[in-house]
Amino acid sequence: MNMNRALLLLIAVLAMTGCRQSGGRRYEMTADQNAVYYWRTELRLDSTERDFLKKQHINKVYCRYFDVVMQDSVPMPNATLTFTDTLPEGVELVPTVFITEDCMHRRHEGLAEKLVRRICQMNETNDINGVREIQIDCDYTARSRQTYYDFLKEVSHSSLFISHYSLLSTTIRLHQLSMAPPPADYGVLMLYNTGDPRRFMERRSADGRLLEEGRNPILDMRDVKPYLRRLDGYPLPLAAAYPVYLWQRTIHGVRVEHTVESEEILRVKQAVEHERPELRRTVITYHLDKENINRYKPETYEEIYHH
Amino acid sequence: MKKFIIISLLTVLAAVPAAACIWVETNNYYLFRAYNPKEFRMHADEVTTNNWKAYLGSNEDYFHFRADEVKEFARKKGDLLMVSYVENLEKYLECAEEKRYESWRYPTKEDLAQRQQTLQNVRTYAQGKLKSRLRSQHALLFMRCNMMLGRHAENVTFWVTTGSTMIESIYRDMMRNIYAGALYKTGSEEAAAAIFAEQGDWESLMTMYYERRSCKAIRQEYLSNPNSPVLPFLLTDFVNNCQEAIDTQNDYNLEGKLFIRDITKAEAQQMCQLATSVVSEGKTTNPVLWQSAKAWIEFMFGDHRQGIADIEKAVKMEGEERMKDNARVLKLYMTAVEATPGSSFDDYLAQELNWIDKRSKEDNSFLDPTRRLVHQVLVSKYSNRPLTAVSLLKAIDSYEYTTYLDTVRVESLLEYIDYVSTPAQTALDRYLKPHQKLSADEMNDLVGTKYMRLCRWQEAAEWLARVPISYYNEKGYACYAANRKWSVEPWITRQFLGEGVEYSDEKWQLKENPKLAFAREMAKMEGELNVLKSKERPQRCYDLAVRYAQAHFTGDCWFLMRDGKSICDTLRCNEVDLTAKAVGLLQEASKTKDAALKERSLFALCYGYLYFSEWQLQPWNCDEPESPAYQRLKNPKSRQHQAFAALAEFERSNKAGVSKYVSNCDDYIQYGKN
Repeated sequence: MNMNRALLLLIAVLAMTGCRQSGGRRYEMTADQNAVYYWRTELRLDSTERDFLKKQHINKVYCRYFDVVMQDSVPMPNATLTFTDTLPEGVELVPTVFITEDCMHRRHEGLAEKLVRRICQMNETNDINGVREIQIDCDYTARSRQTYYDFLKEVSHSSLFISHYSLLSTTIRLHQLSMAPPPADYGVLMLYNTGDPRRFMERRSADGRLLEEGRNPILDMRDVKPYLRRLDGYPLPLAAAYPVYLWQRTIHGVRVEHTVESEEILRVKQAVEHERPELRRTVITYHLDKENINRYKPETYEEIYHH
Repeated sequence: MKKFIIISLLTVLAAVPAAACIWVETNNYYLFRAYNPKEFRMHADEVTTNNWKAYLGSNEDYFHFRADEVKEFARKKGDLLMVSYVENLEKYLECAEEKRYESWRYPTKEDLAQRQQTLQNVRTYAQGKLKSRLRSQHALLFMRCNMMLGRHAENVTFWVTTGSTMIESIYRDMMRNIYAGALYKTGSEEAAAAIFAEQGDWESLMTMYYERRSCKAIRQEYLSNPNSPVLPFLLTDFVNNCQEAIDTQNDYNLEGKLFIRDITKAEAQQMCQLATSVVSEGKTTNPVLWQSAKAWIEFMFGDHRQGIADIEKAVKMEGEERMKDNARVLKLYMTAVEATPGSSFDDYLAQELNWIDKRSKEDNSFLDPTRRLVHQVLVSKYSNRPLTAVSLLKAIDSYEYTTYLDTVRVESLLEYIDYVSTPAQTALDRYLKPHQKLSADEMNDLVGTKYMRLCRWQEAAEWLARVPISYYNEKGYACYAANRKWSVEPWITRQFLGEGVEYSDEKWQLKENPKLAFAREMAKMEGELNVLKSKERPQRCYDLAVRYAQAHFTGDCWFLMRDGKSICDTLRCNEVDLTAKAVGLLQEASKTKDAALKERSLFALCYGYLYFSEWQLQPWNCDEPESPAYQRLKNPKSRQHQAFAALAEFERSNKAGVSKYVSNCDDYIQYGKN
């Protein structure tokens, strides 16, 4: 093997590793960060929400810019955010895009480029400055995983991304911990929607014996437990996101409301941080909204955001 | 506001899962309608479209506004003001469309600046034409531009000083609608809602009140103004959401409707309490609205006795005409559920249906409750009087009527025809019979075809002889009837028509009544079958089998038994399986000593359309998601497989050699490979 061929081989190997850590740099969760998701279609904060950002020392907002959904077999942007307000000074904005899983059932030529370009244009048009990160949210499965990972690589390798941003993050559901990690700088571990929505009620036998206790479909320690052992070795830096929302649904004509008790959130927080101390670095709540702020005491939020 | 509302609605619509691939007719129409549900947007579209048509002198049924067409017409007419108006209207509409639709190309600052500039220019242009002949149109354009430019306060002032003084027209109504949006944007929500409610802009009201539709919110609205114009809308929404909740329990609801808010029984009871106190307080000018809401909720949640007692009170109460009508419709529905059919109820039903017919001429939404009433209550109620039940279905133009005609026994159909053609004796009959309107040709064809499906050829011919050829010339299948022959062996020759024939505009002139000719031929051939000598009989069996296979819904001459062809078609009620007949005849024919006929018969028995189950199964292999493919699995138990085996066995000893039509058959070749 001559020198040139060896060099080519080295380049090929480096290219195949593909992920953003390949240059020797690996993102680390060093600084403590308090963050929230913003998941509405209009960026407008009321006084309660502004006050919350200030009091809880929120320095990062993962702001949903738009969704990508399949329309006539083509992925298209949907429910784009309108900007009628700005975030308080000093709060970093992370454009976040939710992509439905079916968009990743096959490769769509140029999708990554279009997505990054649109985010850039939204920032430019609306004078959003200082953005250094993009987050992609997708509930990928074994079927869509490879396409999604290839898509993330395309995003991070696109010239627009390289020239504008330095970080790419993605969401990680508990069930995705068993898969190889996505090619992103870090993942946000979604500690919500963890349970089977059908198992929210206890089951008893005819003679009244308790067969199975009901589980909170938003977050239940018993659903998190089986995944705890995977946390330590998961080869991607992780942040943690906790639910503070209300989920309403009607089952057989009866309205059922689900919220997570603050004790349960904190129990899960303690457990995951015990397995992986890094998770106490960046803490996110889903999602910023006056109703959600008023649902818990300020002390509860302080404990959730405790590093 | 309008733009905001449209965008909001589109967002909601876009979020609805695309489940539109299958359309299922619903019968669970909302019964509670305290206002005319026709949307302001639809009304505005309709009137403006008619105005454009009138300007152009167009009679086009499906007219839609085309700027170029209007400009060209206006130029020819020398109407330069109209030309400039349409040019500017186009510019405005383009800006509105850009804002409305999401695409991968997000607008740049320059795009937005350009859009703003365009709107500004159009606005200035429109402002300069406020005293012209087309002042209303230009005033509307001016307000539209202001709305897009966010100049809501200016729109409020403009309406008060100028717009409101203009002559009544749809443009003035649209201006007022924009004014209401501007009021909303500038903080005068109550005044905005009042205008939206008055105009019937339910979309805008829903956007405004989306989060305020609970019993608690309705109570607050009532407390702030007992006669708030929004209350009929909110109450209607609440009661209909109760209906959704109940329908979901009863599985009536397949897809659900937009904007459903889940209502619990507890909240529904709170609403009943609120309605009781509203009526007793006496502050409302529409007690009928509240009382009928209470009655219908009680009834839906199972308290029929109380519901009926309350609706009896409601129909005697005061309120707007539409609300009184609503109570009357509810009373009919509730009474019908509890009633036992008899002359007293029949008379009441006839009286109410006649009244609904009259009302529906002004507002066709009145027909919706009738559809629900007939499908969910009356058809089963009159199950022991099938002629009344089917006449009710016809009276509401139900798809189930068509199904009834298609599947009912011929004897029952004859009873129905007789019922329709005799004078009415009762009030209910007097209502029902004029709604039936049967065409003699249609009925004769239908009865004849039913006899055809039963292979009762003589009787079929008697009825079909009454139908003129001209009737069949007008049928969609005339092209096929004119170009296909039932004597052609379908297993050897398929009678495909070229596109030039199939999709030509030619008015086909048939030489004979195809069904009558077929029925007579079949009657003759079958009648002769039993007297034929044993030598001639196999050939006759074969020829009859050809005709049975052709007349089957999978055959080329499907039009003999059907009005249309569908790959989803199946054997219907009260229909003989023609392919089973064909198979029986072919089996008999295959026993012939004539080797050529035997080969043809055995080959015909391999024809796939004669069987429900094919000789080989081709399941889709999903186990290999990377390279899915059809698999081929033999199905030796199938009759087709056995037919192939018999043919192969015959061909092995066929001294004349395998005929070309057999050796060319790809299925036979495939069978040989297995």
